[in-house]
Amino acid sequence: MTKDSLIRTLRDGFGPALTVSEGATPKRLVLDIDRTAFRAAALKLRAAGGRYMVGVGSDERDRRGAFGMIHLFAFDKDGFTVALRTSAPAETPEFDSIAPEIPAAGWTEREYMDLLGFTFKGNPKPKKLILADDWPAGIHPLRKEVPYNLVPPSAEDVAYELDEAPEGTTTVPIGPFHPSLHEPAHFAVYVDGETIKGCDYRGFMTHRGIEKLCQTQVSYNEVPFVAERICGICGSVHAAAYSQSVEEAAGIKIARRAEFIRTIMLEIERLHSHLLWLGVAGHLIGYDTIFMQSWRVREPIMWLSERLTGNRKTYGMIVIGGVRRDITPALREDILGVLKKVETEVGGLKDAVLKDTSIHRRTKGVGFIPREEAEAWSLLGPVARGRGVDIDVRRDHPYAAYDELSFDVPVMDSGDVWGTLVVRLLEIFESIKIVRQALDKMPSDGPLLTEVADVLPAYRHGLSMVEAPRGESVHYLITGPENRPERWRVRAPTYTNLQGVPRMLLDNQLADFPIIVGSIDPCFSCTDRVLVVDGRARSRRVFARSEIEALGRGRRKP
Amino acid sequence: MLAKLARKAFPKSLWLYHCNSGACNGCDIEILNVLTPYYDVERFGIKLVGSPRHADVMLLSGAVTRPTFPLVKRAFEAMPGPKLVFGVGSCALGGGCWFDTYNVSGGGATAVPVDYYIPGCPPRPEAIVYGVALALGLVDKKAAPVELKQVEFPIDAQLRNRAWEERNVIYKLLRD
Repeated sequence: MTKDSLIRTLRDGFGPALTVSEGATPKRLVLDIDRTAFRAAALKLRAAGGRYMVGVGSDERDRRGAFGMIHLFAFDKDGFTVALRTSAPAETPEFDSIAPEIPAAGWTEREYMDLLGFTFKGNPKPKKLILADDWPAGIHPLRKEVPYNLVPPSAEDVAYELDEAPEGTTTVPIGPFHPSLHEPAHFAVYVDGETIKGCDYRGFMTHRGIEKLCQTQVSYNEVPFVAERICGICGSVHAAAYSQSVEEAAGIKIARRAEFIRTIMLEIERLHSHLLWLGVAGHLIGYDTIFMQSWRVREPIMWLSERLTGNRKTYGMIVIGGVRRDITPALREDILGVLKKVETEVGGLKDAVLKDTSIHRRTKGVGFIPREEAEAWSLLGPVARGRGVDIDVRRDHPYAAYDELSFDVPVMDSGDVWGTLVVRLLEIFESIKIVRQALDKMPSDGPLLTEVADVLPAYRHGLSMVEAPRGESVHYLITGPENRPERWRVRAPTYTNLQGVPRMLLDNQLADFPIIVGSIDPCFSCTDRVLVVDGRARSRRVFARSEIEALGRGRRKP
Repeated sequence: MLAKLARKAFPKSLWLYHCNSGACNGCDIEILNVLTPYYDVERFGIKLVGSPRHADVMLLSGAVTRPTFPLVKRAFEAMPGPKLVFGVGSCALGGGCWFDTYNVSGGGATAVPVDYYIPGCPPRPEAIVYGVALALGLVDKKAAPVELKQVEFPIDAQLRNRAWEERNVIYKLLRD
């Protein structure tokens, strides 16, 4: 649906309750709507073909006495985004939940229940998501009166109440530290025999309060470096997305050469990330040869990035207004040499992986989701493309220098882990192609860094999407008066993809759990919270540690 | 002395347990990287294991966040003695750039006693291999201990100049 016809449909539906305004660029549409029609409008946007990206909640009580809430939708075919904005009075921050119809919005709503104290009427699972289990009720860290370093006293024996297990199932706790998870996260998997019948997730254990930190402590120019440390694997993506959102909000146009260098850095990062994933996926299905081989192929790329940027990872290349280092003719030859070597070696690896029957048997039909459901869960990146959803931010909403480059977007319709594996392998070759093109088309000289005004205009909105190796990263920024963002919302692709994992796990084998979770490329090692399920009485609870110790010690004594 | 003790306490293969207490994956992928063909720590008999109960050494990466604080403690308690803890990366050293935010308890030392620190954001695989080898007494220490003092705000010009001079002295010391 084009922008004009969308506006017409919405005007017909909502009349005076709706105010339409243009965003920072023609590709951004901003709709202000009354709180009562907020849910209806969001559902209408979804029905019109909008892909739910994320919601942004903000505390604007100091400047207009209200809380703000924005739902973001992307219309990928037509290349524009819609920000549906509303506000609620400071005393009653209540909104209608859209999660029953748009499942991808579930976490957004739960996040703001925790961080801003919003109420979403009708949310199917109004439980804690982000804050620790022992975090006291009534303290919402993103509210302005709460200092960034407030640490309420911890409480013992407070445990997360897991979802009710489906009838006749046994609960298998996986995590927080588990060999198949490289990061702390807790999954409670409900199994009937070996078949998974459901799953509850308790994660956000690596929540470090970055958004609050950057909104209260640092200035615009320091945030890119904090943003790179959101994720050690795709750091550049976050620095690029943040910088672009500031540039969009403040209307800064950066030099073309800088845009090309950004593109090259993002693609080099994708190369290392995809090879990393391939290795980890091999490791997760017990095929360590792939792990060793693909990490061996990957290592020259790490050395290359060290020569390009000064660090193997966490490059620190991308800042507001451009990039910090140039790609000199000598470095250009260096990149081409490494790419040639990597291309040959990945070619061999690709044949070995795609023709291996044991990999076929471990991945084909595993973690299957039909295309419609993949769209409903707003799956992103290779996870969606492996399920027939043809989306790629680089092509649909071009940023940096992608509008000048031609590349294919590999799509598989097998709908399973195999699909995502093939998509990622093929993307390695596309990335190599993109870097070569970018080196060819790059203007031979020009400034790297555009000078930015000392004071950026306050309360402007900026949105930017960047295709990370795992999917689309969204950054939403509201500029502030004190030389720092007033509100900076980061949504990494795993945030959305992980919400779809319980659906992917359904009716699969428990032994396939590591590769299904691994297929979305998240990270996780073994102090388990002990879970007791009494199958007959249908009662189940999480035992606190002291109780278990008492039980254990009690039994040992005669 | 500690190196000698370590050599006595761990005469055979060293088994590592990798504990991510809230890292950004940067350090974690470098830890995994030391297992791969270019760095291959298995030649020193070093191996990653899945459970703290099998491990001699805990590699702790990341700032200890509020939810993982009790969990890291329990993982450490589960390890049989004698045991060592390595803090890998800036966040495990002192909490990193978010050392004092609402959901972070601080560096690794707030939860468990850290014996060796491997600095870097993220530390290079060579640095991790060197750190473990140093602990085992396989290599000698390359730098002498230096004490640094942070200059308080507001910065006094004289103090700052003196700090710069002192820093140069330190660099000279390191070179010698």
